[in-house]
Amino acid sequence: MPDRQRPIRILLVEDNPGDVRLTIEAFKDNRVDTPLDVARDGVEALAYLRQEGIHAGKPLPDLILLDLNLPRMDGGEVLAAIKADPALLHIPVVVLTTSRAEQDVQRAYLLQAACFITKPVDFECFIQAVKLIDAFWLSVVTLPCGARG
Amino acid sequence: MSAKSPPHLASPSAPPDSAGNTRSTRGADPRFDQILASANDAIISIDESQHITLFNRGAERIFGHAAADIIGQPLDLLIPERFVAHHGTQVRDFSTAPEASRMMAQRGEIYGRRHDGSEFPAEASISKFRGPEGLVFTVILRDITERRAAERTLRDTHDELERRVRERTAELEERNAQLQQEIQERRRAEKRLAEQARELARSNADLEQFASVASHDLQEPLRMVASYTQLLGKRYRSRLDGDADEFMGFIVDGALRMQRLINDLLAFSRVGSRGKGFQPVDLAACVAQVQINLRSAIEESGAQIDVGALPVVCADATQMEQLLQNLIGNAIKFRQGPAPRVHIDARREDGAWCIGVQDDGIGIDPRYAERIFVIFQRLHTAAEYPGTGIGLAICKKIVERHGGHIELHSTPGAGARFSFTLPDREEPPHA
Repeated sequence: MPDRQRPIRILLVEDNPGDVRLTIEAFKDNRVDTPLDVARDGVEALAYLRQEGIHAGKPLPDLILLDLNLPRMDGGEVLAAIKADPALLHIPVVVLTTSRAEQDVQRAYLLQAACFITKPVDFECFIQAVKLIDAFWLSVVTLPCGARG
Repeated sequence: MSAKSPPHLASPSAPPDSAGNTRSTRGADPRFDQILASANDAIISIDESQHITLFNRGAERIFGHAAADIIGQPLDLLIPERFVAHHGTQVRDFSTAPEASRMMAQRGEIYGRRHDGSEFPAEASISKFRGPEGLVFTVILRDITERRAAERTLRDTHDELERRVRERTAELEERNAQLQQEIQERRRAEKRLAEQARELARSNADLEQFASVASHDLQEPLRMVASYTQLLGKRYRSRLDGDADEFMGFIVDGALRMQRLINDLLAFSRVGSRGKGFQPVDLAACVAQVQINLRSAIEESGAQIDVGALPVVCADATQMEQLLQNLIGNAIKFRQGPAPRVHIDARREDGAWCIGVQDDGIGIDPRYAERIFVIFQRLHTAAEYPGTGIGLAICKKIVERHGGHIELHSTPGAGARFSFTLPDREEPPHA
């Protein structure tokens, strides 16, 4: 178990409200009580991470769940921006997407995604996937303390 | 004119000069007589009244007059009538000219008239000197009939050559025009081909776009339908009745099947768009890999797989594995009873390898032999044999991408034999 003074924070970057809710429900189903912040697109995600505007003063997340298909700035671009920012590059990014296309997988790993997960269509499988994310990233792994956290 | 004179020598019509002998000079040197007699050209002298005073042998031969007959006669006898007047003027003109000699016929040719009246082209010079009896004109004349003929032949030959050159040039120009036209046609054909290639590339790009759309955008709503139905079922199970559970089951089932179809369609479209390059592939190794991939199906069914000698072919390795896995997988899947037997062999055909996958399964009615290769066409319900009906469609597309064809030989109840050909091809140089 990570030794922390505060609970682990997750940023979910996802534009589809249905998916946002489904992810929240999946965490709920796994009885994970984790603060889950949501950014609706890539631009908002970066504003949040850089604590700009209304996001000023918000703590950095310990883990980012990133969809690839996003309006304005797609997931790949967001990932590249995060990994190019010294203040953010330590945060593991889990790509969580509908795509199973080879080129998306390749691109995500080239951009240093921590891992690539294709969202299962079957809800039970999705719950299972979230459970594994939870178990691995929030329990097994020791995450770095946020640079500004 | 003296009878003693040699016939070729003229006697002056004028009386002897003070020296008493017009031939005194010649008489003094017999070489002059020899020169006159032996000269090939006509040498003719006339006096101031243009009467002939000297007519050598050459002149006799050329004009056909005997000197004896012509001496004392007017020069006009030797000139075609139409030139006579002009000629007289010319000679009188020359008589007062300062020069001692000139070429005759400076404008155009001159002609001589033979004894028989025939004409001949000639080249002549005229000279003059003042003798004791006055001016003496001497014409040295040469018959140039042969030279003219030779010149004409030369001119004719030259004209003929020019004609041929013109003809040949015209032929070449025509051929050249034809070639130009052919080149233009070929260029147009090339342009059409390039356009088709561009069109094809565009169409492939569209297909890729479609694949991407299918991969992301079509699956997203499906996930919503399936997941929320499942969530509904999970959360409200106790509050809904049995019908509701069944209906939700159908919704989830439909969504999941739809997702499989989309994935299969993607796989099918990727046979062409994501195919890799051709390189030497050991089909024996390929079949060995397939047996590893299908291990659970093989163990479960107790299938026995015999593999004959298989060649190394030039092909897309991934697709060869996919092809053989589909065929061997089908052979096991459509078995009649436990422990099915599958036999894989290869034989040479004209310029190709023919690979066969023979099973002893349920077989296929030959009337479906075409239909089974069409995408999503199935002969069995999902309950009997699961699957979307993509496998053989992908097989056919792979084989056709390799330039071969695939066919089925089967009798219901007596197994099926799928065979496909792989035409020989040059290995790519970098392979």
